[in-house]
Amino acid sequence: MRSQVWILSLALSVSSSARLGGAGQTVKVVVADAPAVVIADFSARVRAYVSLRKNVEDSFTVLRSSNDSAEIAAHKIELAAMIVSARSDAGQGDIFTPEIAMRFRDIIRMTFQSPGAQSVRRTVQDKDPATPIVLRVNLAYPENSPLQMMPPTLLARLPDLPMDMGYRIIGRALVLLDNKTRLIVDFIPAAVP
Amino acid sequence: MNRMRRFIWLALFPVCFCLAGQKLTLPVQQGSVRFAAIGDMGTGDPPQYEVASRMNAIRAQFPFDFVIMLGDNIYGGNTSADFEKKFELPYRLLLDAGVKFYASLGNHDAATQKTYKPFNMGGQQYYTYKKGNVQFFALDTNYMNPLQITWLTKELQNSSSDWKICYFHHPLYSSSRFHGASVELRQTLEPLFIKYGVQAVFSGHDHVYERMKPQNGIHYFIEGAAGELRKGDLMRTDITAAGYDQDQSFLLVEISGDVLDFQAVSRLGMTVDEGVFSRAKTSPMTTGR
Repeated sequence: MRSQVWILSLALSVSSSARLGGAGQTVKVVVADAPAVVIADFSARVRAYVSLRKNVEDSFTVLRSSNDSAEIAAHKIELAAMIVSARSDAGQGDIFTPEIAMRFRDIIRMTFQSPGAQSVRRTVQDKDPATPIVLRVNLAYPENSPLQMMPPTLLARLPDLPMDMGYRIIGRALVLLDNKTRLIVDFIPAAVP
Repeated sequence: MNRMRRFIWLALFPVCFCLAGQKLTLPVQQGSVRFAAIGDMGTGDPPQYEVASRMNAIRAQFPFDFVIMLGDNIYGGNTSADFEKKFELPYRLLLDAGVKFYASLGNHDAATQKTYKPFNMGGQQYYTYKKGNVQFFALDTNYMNPLQITWLTKELQNSSSDWKICYFHHPLYSSSRFHGASVELRQTLEPLFIKYGVQAVFSGHDHVYERMKPQNGIHYFIEGAAGELRKGDLMRTDITAAGYDQDQSFLLVEISGDVLDFQAVSRLGMTVDEGVFSRAKTSPMTTGR
């Protein structure tokens, strides 16, 4: 599977590879480029989601702040419903495609095997009791369930996300969460070793 | 408990407190920065109301201007009923008196709380503000990403305030059994605190009160028992300077010039810790009174 990613990258980076000549050098460039291409693809998919959210939000009232908690709650519910409706056909793997998921799993595995991994694992293990979460795209993360602190070491290695988007570890899955609505946008099952 | 009963509770509790008496050890200097710190409070249960009433009662002697919230501001949901029961009603007397609340987010809080004006977060999950010679940095430790770390570094670097105080939900040091210290977070944040001269750090998450002996010159406090309580959870270690896990509590702080005074008060009005330290010391010395 990993070789498939690199083959894809090879196709995308063929011009730069060709310039180098020498088999060893070519392989080196392909290996280096592979993650970048995959991450760029991921970022583009996330941007597309954020753009959809913005379009949906622009179609009614953008809520900056309010003294009225009822208004905040209603805005969130309405926004979530409209996003779900706009991407009703969305499914697991739309953003975390197999290639992207593989790259993310690599990053997570490296983080959990690196020096200092013990404190990362401890961060993930520190949790309040909660009922098991059903992971499904377009489902809202339950309001009454606490969120896991994301390990800072892992966040430093994962691609940056736009405003109001976040990664979360839920069970062993890595979840892409919309912070404005708490909607599960996508997830990678069994991402944490 | 219906609304009427809550109002009666709010009205009667300060009377009981006055009868019980309240020993204030803070100096109440003219022009000082005075605030209260509460964490893990948003339960909506009677102890939260009792702590809130105690805070209101003590304000007659120690008129603090604002409250820092150390996260888990609203447990269990974010409907308007939740905000009413777990924030607006318990702190109504303080809110009506013009006391401002500055929230940080806990692991039970929704990110949308940043848009709730009475939390004074300005729509940001992490933010900074100044009060007199003190600059406060409210952080979101649920999600300490490179963007936030870069922001904090820049803000600390540019701060010309005498005092730099950080607060957030997850404690960097803790002697509690249930959660304990967030070691990875400590490895991430403490070097910045040391480098840029942060003097005091306030956290919640563990449902106790604990004050650490200064660690690398920084004074760390946990006040995660202003609503929730994990009785008997504090396992005193060699870094514990003081602690209390037998009742709900809150913390009062006064900063005047180079001196910070603090007093931790239980729900029933007992002083459970008090002390003073100076920012001028390179190796801070905390003294109990």
